[in-house]
Amino acid sequence: MRERQSSDQFARLALLLATLISLIVSGLANSTAAASPEYQVKAVFLFNFAQFVEWPPQSFEDAAAPFVIGVLGTDPFGAALEGAVRGETLNGRSFVIERYRSVTEIRHCQILFISRSEAAHIEEISASLAGHGILTVSDAEDSAQRGLMIRFVAESNRIRLRINVEAAKAAGLSISSKLLRPAELVTSTD
Amino acid sequence: MPSGQTPIRRKLMTMILLTSGAVLLLTSASFLAHEFFTFRYSTVRSLSTLGQVIATNSTAALAFDNAKDAVEILTALKAEPHVVSAGLYNSDGQLFATYPQGFDNGEFPRTPGADGYRFEGHFLVGFQPVLEGQRRLGTLFLKSDLGALFDWLRLYSGIAASVIAASFLLAYLISRNLQRQISEPILALARTAEAVSRERDYSVRAAPVQGHELRLLTDGFNHMLERTQAQLSRLDLLQKITRAIGERQDPASIFQVVLQRLEDDMPIEFGCICLHEAQSDFLIARTIGARSMPAAASMGISEQTNIPIDDNGISKCLLGQLVYERDVREVSFPFPQRLAGGGFRSLVIAPLLIESNVFGMLIASRREADAFTSGDCEFLRQLSEHVALATQQAQLYGALQRAYDDLRQSQQTALQQERLRALGQMASGIAHDINNAISPVALYTESLLEREPNLSERTRSYLVTIQRAIEDVAETVARMREFYRPREPQIVLGRIHVNRAVQQIIELTRARWSDVAQQRGIMIELRTELADDVPELIGAESEVRDALTNLIFNAVDAMPNGGILTLRTRLVGSQRVCLEVSDTGIGMDEETRRRCLEPFYTTKGERGTGLGLAMVYGMIQRHSAELEIDSEVGKGTTMRLIFTVLTPDTAASGVVPVLVPRQSLLRILLVDDDPILLQSLRDTLEGDGHTITAASGGQAGIDAFAAAASSATPFDVVVTDLGMPYVDGRKVAATVRALSPTVPIVMLTGWGQRLIADDEVPPHVDRVLNKPPRLADLRVVLAELTA
Repeated sequence: MRERQSSDQFARLALLLATLISLIVSGLANSTAAASPEYQVKAVFLFNFAQFVEWPPQSFEDAAAPFVIGVLGTDPFGAALEGAVRGETLNGRSFVIERYRSVTEIRHCQILFISRSEAAHIEEISASLAGHGILTVSDAEDSAQRGLMIRFVAESNRIRLRINVEAAKAAGLSISSKLLRPAELVTSTD
Repeated sequence: MPSGQTPIRRKLMTMILLTSGAVLLLTSASFLAHEFFTFRYSTVRSLSTLGQVIATNSTAALAFDNAKDAVEILTALKAEPHVVSAGLYNSDGQLFATYPQGFDNGEFPRTPGADGYRFEGHFLVGFQPVLEGQRRLGTLFLKSDLGALFDWLRLYSGIAASVIAASFLLAYLISRNLQRQISEPILALARTAEAVSRERDYSVRAAPVQGHELRLLTDGFNHMLERTQAQLSRLDLLQKITRAIGERQDPASIFQVVLQRLEDDMPIEFGCICLHEAQSDFLIARTIGARSMPAAASMGISEQTNIPIDDNGISKCLLGQLVYERDVREVSFPFPQRLAGGGFRSLVIAPLLIESNVFGMLIASRREADAFTSGDCEFLRQLSEHVALATQQAQLYGALQRAYDDLRQSQQTALQQERLRALGQMASGIAHDINNAISPVALYTESLLEREPNLSERTRSYLVTIQRAIEDVAETVARMREFYRPREPQIVLGRIHVNRAVQQIIELTRARWSDVAQQRGIMIELRTELADDVPELIGAESEVRDALTNLIFNAVDAMPNGGILTLRTRLVGSQRVCLEVSDTGIGMDEETRRRCLEPFYTTKGERGTGLGLAMVYGMIQRHSAELEIDSEVGKGTTMRLIFTVLTPDTAASGVVPVLVPRQSLLRILLVDDDPILLQSLRDTLEGDGHTITAASGGQAGIDAFAAAASSATPFDVVVTDLGMPYVDGRKVAATVRALSPTVPIVMLTGWGQRLIADDEVPPHVDRVLNKPPRLADLRVVLAELTA
């Protein structure tokens, strides 16, 4: 009888402890990598682009090179990108998330998200990346018309795609028609 | 078509239709099943293909969370009317888009089920993974109703039903035609069989048909009919023969009719029945069929020919087996070779068996080799049994008939003897009276002739004739009761000069054949053909005379319209004398000729006694002579008496005249109830000088003798009658003997002959004399007894 009493007391103590720990951890996460639901979706979308786009072989360093999703500028994703690609592979390649402060940092990258922080330099970025076989994505205003390949457009709580097929073609990328279907197609205005 | 003929048709049709129907049904069912499963499979496949297309197209919509696009894609399912509903679940298992749009979510599973397609009730339900590369983006749900399947099933069932119906109709039409080929000949056979059994006409044949089995059947049927017909005809023949032999009672005619029937109706070309006697080693050809005669003659076989028994054939048949030689040319034994020589080939020898003893054989032959079927052989075997039985019966019948004839003969003889015995008794009574009656005539005539020397010649002649007539009467009377007896020693034999006797008879009977005939206006011519050298016969002349007289009277009676009467004597050989009486009269038929010697048989109605020829026959028997009768109706009759001439030695015992010396005078007591006889005896004996005392009765005689015995003058001799009322001769004799042991007693009797014959001389009587007593005999007896 005494033994049971002591085990019940232990169980209550453990439960209280676990609750405390989880509260602390979740508070930490919010403070360090908190991302809005919008960017959680966009992170998944970025990952999903890997399924619908084909890259030329030379865009990879070698056959075993990982698939790189890069973020240029201020990272709005927090941990969402890492969460989206965790455990995923594509054609034997693992996913790597890289973050760049400037275009010059970019070595090998297959999908590059250009943050709104870089909205003013879009034309320059686009020009410097031309011919590198990098799918450029942004949610900056008119980014697709300004030479980027895909723009996220928020429409009544939904995120729509606006794709500049010419830009993708120019970069040697081939975008699956399935991806084009739900998307709005645009061309560069310049 | 009669209703009785339908079943086989109906059966055939039913069979064909059922068979084809079953085949069609099975085929259709298997097709249907196959098509059903194929269709299910293809339905699943097409739905899964559709699912795959939709899923592939939905990847981007799912990947980029574009429900509108997903709905658009799903809306494309409108083109597939059987798809009832569809839904897209995202990778979290939440319903993402539906078709039709706005469809109540309750219709969809809350979460996607296991991947794959399955039938649930009337629907086909599928969960299709939505993959982009290796990545699963969600699940597509599809629900399709099976209307297509059921539509298709309906259509296919309809087609199958009409195909079956059409096929059935076609099968019916074809089978109706085809079954005729089978049923028509069978029905024809059935009709023929029915006709045969109804009309009992086995000569009907079924018409030949096409087709191997049916032809076999028809041929078999016809063959059976042929056999039946042959069997029936044999049966018929057997019956005919059996009936024919049943009507016959002697083996010869049985054999003849059997062979004739066999030759005519079976037919055979040679038929013969042979008999076999036990232990002998040959057969005797008993009867040969009339048509087989020429062939038999050519083979040297005729009735009564002996046929040696071979080692083979016949000897086997002798053991009771039927023997069949298919071809006698191949058999080396003599009899078959003999037949082969006559041009015959096949031979059947059937045994005639009685109680397992072969007493004969039926031999049948044909000119063709192997021409007897087993049916023929069996028929001959059965026939031979019948023939054997009939023969045995005929033999038994013959034996019975003979026994019966013998019995009848014996009975008739006994009857005749009884009749003659009765006649004899009657005759002896009559004879007694006649003898009594004629005794005085005889005594007086003899006495007159002897004692009256002065009689005129004419008177003497008359008296002699009277005496002869009386003697004839006495002898006739004596014979009358004796005519049936064999010759007796008492018959007085004498020498008979036949020709003289004939002349005397002609004279004695002249009144009859000449005078009476002339009075009736008819003329009878008398002829005599008397041989000169006829020797004298030994016999009773009076009997012969009487016989001749009777024959002449019969001859005259047989010629009511006149004619020629011929008397003939002649010597036959050296020892026999023939005496014939012939007439040219009406003759006798067979019946009369056979019975004419019977006593009391007469053709003369009231006029005849029926005793004439019977007496003639008695005479013939007593004289050991023969009587021959030749007679022809309308031509006349010849009666022929044939006597055997006896040698003189044997004839020497004849009666010779006895000269009796005059005897001493006697005192004689005469006892008789007949006063006339008494008187005549008294007169004649007194004429001889005797002293006579007459007593008219037995008692009177005894009294007289008693009176005299005690007197000085007793009687020397007693002569008494036998038959007297009250006290008869026997009593008289006994009384006299008692009174005087020595006095001789002579008995006179009308029954004298019979007494002697029956060895019945009464006691105490010394001598018996017949009435009418002849004076000479009486004198001799008296002399002897008193000597």
